[in-house]
Amino acid sequence: MRKAVVTLAAALAPILLVGCRTAPKSGTTGNELRFSIAGDPKTFDPLQISESHSETVRDLTAGVLVRVNRVTDALEPELAESWKLSEDGRSIAFHLRAGLKFSNNSPLDANDVARTLNRALDPKEASPVGDAFQSSAGKPSVTVTSPLDVSIVYAVPKPGLDRLFETLPITPRPGPTPAKLPASAGPFFVSEYRPGEYVRVARNPNYWKRDSSGHRLPYLDSIRIDIQQNHDIELERFLRGEIQVVEKLEPAAWDRVEKAKPGAARTLGPSLDSEFMWFNQAPSRTLPEWKRKWFMSAAFRHAISLAINRDDIARVAFYGHAHPAAGPVSPANRFWFNASLDALRYDPTTAAKALADEGFVLRNGALYDKDGHAVEFSLITNAGNAARENTAPLIQTDLGKIGIKVNIVTLDFSSLIDRIARTLDYEAALQGFNNVEIDPLDDLNVWLSSGAQHAWWPNQKSPSTPWEARIDELEKEQASTGSREIRRKAVDELQRIVVEQEPIVYLVNPDYLYAMSANVKGAQPSVAPPHIWWNVEWLKLE
Amino acid sequence: MKTVRGMAVVILIAVAAMALFGPALAPFPYDRQFRDATSAPPGGRFPLGTDALGRDRLSRLFYASRTSIVLAPAAAAISVALALLIAPLSLSRVSQAGRMGSPFRAAISMITTVCLALPWIFLFIILRAELPLDTGPAASVLITFALMGVAGWAWPARVFSASIGQMERSGWMLHARATGMGPWRIALVHGWPQLRAVAIAQFRILVPAYILAEASLGLLGLGVAEPLPSWGNLLRDLQHPDLVRANPAIAAPLILLVIVMICLEALQIGQSGPETGAARAKAMGEPV
Amino acid sequence: MTPTGSLEPRHAANPRAGRAGNRRILARRFAHGLFGLIVAVLAGGFIASALVRYSPGFEVDENSWNPKLSAQTSAAIHERREYENRLPSFYARYLMAAMQGNLGESDAFHVPVTELLRERAGVTAGLLVWGLAGGMLLGGWLAWLAVWPRRMSFEISAVSISGLLLALPPAVLALGFFLADAPIGIGVTLAIAPRVFGTMRALWSDLYHSGSLLAARARGTAPVVLAWRYVLCPAAPQLVALGGVSLVLAFGILIPIEAICDVPGIGQLTWRAAVARDLPLLSGLALIITFVVALAATIGELVEDGPAGGGGFDGTESMAEPA
Repeated sequence: MRKAVVTLAAALAPILLVGCRTAPKSGTTGNELRFSIAGDPKTFDPLQISESHSETVRDLTAGVLVRVNRVTDALEPELAESWKLSEDGRSIAFHLRAGLKFSNNSPLDANDVARTLNRALDPKEASPVGDAFQSSAGKPSVTVTSPLDVSIVYAVPKPGLDRLFETLPITPRPGPTPAKLPASAGPFFVSEYRPGEYVRVARNPNYWKRDSSGHRLPYLDSIRIDIQQNHDIELERFLRGEIQVVEKLEPAAWDRVEKAKPGAARTLGPSLDSEFMWFNQAPSRTLPEWKRKWFMSAAFRHAISLAINRDDIARVAFYGHAHPAAGPVSPANRFWFNASLDALRYDPTTAAKALADEGFVLRNGALYDKDGHAVEFSLITNAGNAARENTAPLIQTDLGKIGIKVNIVTLDFSSLIDRIARTLDYEAALQGFNNVEIDPLDDLNVWLSSGAQHAWWPNQKSPSTPWEARIDELEKEQASTGSREIRRKAVDELQRIVVEQEPIVYLVNPDYLYAMSANVKGAQPSVAPPHIWWNVEWLKLE
Repeated sequence: MKTVRGMAVVILIAVAAMALFGPALAPFPYDRQFRDATSAPPGGRFPLGTDALGRDRLSRLFYASRTSIVLAPAAAAISVALALLIAPLSLSRVSQAGRMGSPFRAAISMITTVCLALPWIFLFIILRAELPLDTGPAASVLITFALMGVAGWAWPARVFSASIGQMERSGWMLHARATGMGPWRIALVHGWPQLRAVAIAQFRILVPAYILAEASLGLLGLGVAEPLPSWGNLLRDLQHPDLVRANPAIAAPLILLVIVMICLEALQIGQSGPETGAARAKAMGEPV
Repeated sequence: MTPTGSLEPRHAANPRAGRAGNRRILARRFAHGLFGLIVAVLAGGFIASALVRYSPGFEVDENSWNPKLSAQTSAAIHERREYENRLPSFYARYLMAAMQGNLGESDAFHVPVTELLRERAGVTAGLLVWGLAGGMLLGGWLAWLAVWPRRMSFEISAVSISGLLLALPPAVLALGFFLADAPIGIGVTLAIAPRVFGTMRALWSDLYHSGSLLAARARGTAPVVLAWRYVLCPAAPQLVALGGVSLVLAFGILIPIEAICDVPGIGQLTWRAAVARDLPLLSGLALIITFVVALAATIGELVEDGPAGGGGFDGTESMAEPA
C-alpha cells in the first residue's frame, strides 16, 4: 500500500513542480516607456473618443494645430506655425508648417484640417469632439485659402475658439480600406493593439518637432500602455520596475510607494476633480412626494452639508490626500475659481438647529419631519472606487449623529448610471467627476436645466426654480461671448448660486497623485489633463 | 476516530456559539468609527487592529460570524435539498428499454445544463434593480442567500444524476423496481441514503462558495451592506496585498473559515463505512 | 440465488438483438444526445442574451454620465445600441450568423468576437487543463489517501489539506501565486482539488467496499489492474460527470482569477463583457459555455449507457465473479 502512495506521489510531483508559468510579457526595447490604463480603449478614431482610456491613447498620438502649455497656460504652435484670432472672437485663420507628414508618410495640408473639422461637425458622425465646435448659430464655415492656410468663421462669437483647436487631432484622408490602427501626425502612432493586454504606440518618424540641438523628437522609441484593471497589481509592477509611471496613484498606496521608492510618489496638491453627493429632485415613480419635499428644500440640503465632516473624509477616506471642497470649481483651477466664496463648514449644531427651524423633530435620536415621517434615505454609489466606498460610511455616521438614517447601496457602474441617468429611481447619489478640464464650459450639460447631466433633475423642459433659470441665463451668456472677463463674471455668479442652493453637496477635491521612476526625465506634470502626457515628445528614459 | 470527530464537533459548536453570542463579546459596536485610529495595527485597544475607517476588526469579526455562519450553510442546504428532490425525477417510470427515451430525464438533464451555464450574475443585477433601494439589510441578506441557494441546485444535481445512473443498474434498484416501488419510494428507501456521502461533499463545497459569493454580490448592492460586516466582505480585504502586509491580522476571518472547513471535513473521518450499494443490495436481498 | 444474479444487465438482456441492434440503439442514443445538446445550447444562449438585454445599464452607455458629450451625441450613441439590440430579432440574426462561424462584433472592444476568443483561448485553455486535470488528480489522490491506506494520520492530513484549500478564496490563492511569480496554474489546481475531493472520497469509499474489489484483492490482482478494472472503469460515469461540473466550476473560478490577476484570457474577457453589458460577446460566450457543458453531459450519459456499459462498468456483473 505504502509503495503505491510513493509511486503516485512520484508521478504527480513533476506535474506540480513544472507548472505553467504565465508567459512573460513580450520583450522590451531599451527605450520604451511603460505605464498602464484600467481598460481597453473603445476606439482609436480620435474623433469618436468618449472615454478616458481612448483619451490617453489620443493624448500620446494626436497631431493638433495648437497646444496649451500646461505650465505657463500659454497657447503654443504645433502643426500650425501661426494663427490669427479675430477681435470679435468669431473667426480664426491658421497657417500650417510646410512639409508636414502623417506617420504613414502621406502629406498633411490645409485640406486635411478642413476635412477633419467637417467630419467632426457632421451630424452623421456623432463625434463627441465635434460637439465643442458647434455654436448657438450652428456650424462654422471652413475655407481652405492655400495648401497651408485654412480659416474658420462662426456666425456668432465663439468662446475660447483658439484653445478649442487643441482638442482636434488632424486625421489623414481615409484610404480605400479603413485602416485598423489610424496614422497620426503627433509624436507617436498606434502600432500594435492586443485587446485586454496592451496598446503600443511607436515613435512617429515624420513628427516635425526637433530639440535645440536638432535631434528629432520624440526621444522615446515607443510607449507600451498595459491594460491593467487591478490597481494593486499596477502598483506591484511599478515597484518592481516593470512600469515607470502610475498615472493615478491611489491615496492608500502613497505610503507604500514612499517607503519602497522614496521620492517616486508625487503630488501636485488638489486636482480639478471633485467628489460630491446630491439628492434626486426629479419626479419619480419610486420617490415618495414627502421625501422629494425634503430634497427640494435648500434648508434641508444645507443642513446635510453642514453635518458632513469634510476634513474627516479627506483625512480618512483619502488618507490625507484630498482637500475639503469649496464649491463646483476646484481651488486648483486658479483662473475660474471664485476666491470670494467661504469654505463649506462642518457645524452639526447649526445643522440640527436649522432642521428644527424647518419643523423637523428629534425623538430618541431619530429625526422626524413635520408629518411624522422618519428622515431616512438611501445613498447609491459605485463599487470599485476605494476612496468613494469609504466616504459613504463616513457620511452615514455623520448624518446618524443628527438623527438621519442613511442606507448605503453600492451598485456596479452600469446599474448606477442606469438609475441616475435613465430611470431616476434613487434618492441620493455619491459620485465624482474625473479628468475635469480647466474650462468650465466643459460641464455646460451639468448646469443647464435642460442638460442630460443636470444631476438632480435632468432634461427639464423649463427650469423648475428661479435660481436654475438664472444659471441657464449665465451659462448661455458665457457660451456666447469670446471675452474671458465677461465669462469669468458669469462663472463667479454661478459658483455663488450653487453654494447658496447646494443642489449638489460638494465634499472634497482629491489631490492629484502620481508615481514616476527616477529615470523618467522631461515630464512637467499638471493638474489639468492630460497630466503627465501633454509634452510626451520630451519624455526620456535614462 | 471518535476523538477526532468529537473535537470537530466541539470546535464547530464553539464557533456557532461565537456567532450567536459574538455581539455580546465584541468590545465595540461593529460600526463605531475611531477616526483617529484608522488602519491601526493589532495590539492595545484593538487586538486585531482596525480597518480603513477605524472600526475594530475583532468586533466586526464577531458580528460577521452571525450572518455568515448561519446563512451560508442554510443556502448550501437549500441547493443540495433541491438537487436531491430533483434527482428522483430522473429515475425513470418506464421500463428499462425505454429509459433513454424518457423525455423527463432528457428534459431534466437539459435544464441542468442550461442552469449550469447561465450567467447568474445578471439575474442578481436584475433582482437588485427590482428590489426597492430602502430594502433593509436583513431582508436583503435573506433574499440574497435564498436566491443563491435556489440558483445553486444544478451543481449537486449534475453530480447526483451520475450516481443515480449508476444506481439504476445496480441489483437492488432492479429488484426494487421489480417489486413495483415508485421512484419516490425508491429515492426515500435507497436513493437518498446512497447519495448521503456525495451530498455532504457537495454541501461542504457550497458553504465557502456562498460565503465568498455573498461578498461579490455586496458589490452589486445585494446582501450585506455597509456598515454591516460579513465573512465575505472581511475576506475581500485579502485581495489587497498591501493591506495584508500592513496588518496580517486581516487574515483572522480566513483562519476561522479554515478551521470551520477542516472541522466539517473531519466530521466525515471514519465515516467511509460499509454503507454501499453492494452491502445494501445484500441486505435487501435477504428476504427475497 | 442472489438478487444481483437474478436480473441480467440490460444489454445482455436481449441477446437476440445482436450487433446490428446494438448499433441501432447506439445511433438512436447518439441522435437523442445531439438533439438535447442543440436544444440546450439554443435555450441557454437565448436565456443568457435575455438576461443581459434586460439587466439595468444595458440601455445606457457609461458616457451618458460624461458631461463633455452633448445631448445629441449621447442620443446618437444610445440609438446605435438600441437599433442593434432588439432581442428576438437580434438573437435570430445572431444565430444565423453564428452558424456560419460569425459571432458578431464586440460592443466594447469593436473587434469580431471570434477573433477575441481565438486570441485568448490559449491562456484560458491552459489554466483549465491545470484546474481540471491537476485538480482531479490531486483531489483524487487526496481522496485516495483518505480512503485506501486505512491510516488515521493519512485521513486526517488529507481532510485537513482539503479543508484548508476549500476555505481559501480562489482569487486570493491565485493572487498569491501571481505576486510570488509562481505559475497561476498551480493556484487553479489547488482551488479545484478540494472541490472534487469530497465526491471522489465518497466514490472511492464505495468502491473500496465493493465485493468485486475485495474479491480481486483476495486473488492478489496486480495494483495497476486493480486500479483500472475495479476503480477507474466502474467510476467512469461519475468521474466524467464530476469532470463536467468541474469544468464549469473551473471556468467560474477563472473569471475572478483572471480579472484580479489581469490574465488576458477568456475569464477576464467575460468579466469585462459583463461590466460593459456587451451583448454580442456575452451571447457568443453563452453559446460556447452551454455547448461545452452540454457536451460534457452528453458524453457522460453516453459513457454511462454505452455498449461497454454492460461490461465492467456496473458492479452487478463483476459481483457475480466470486460466486
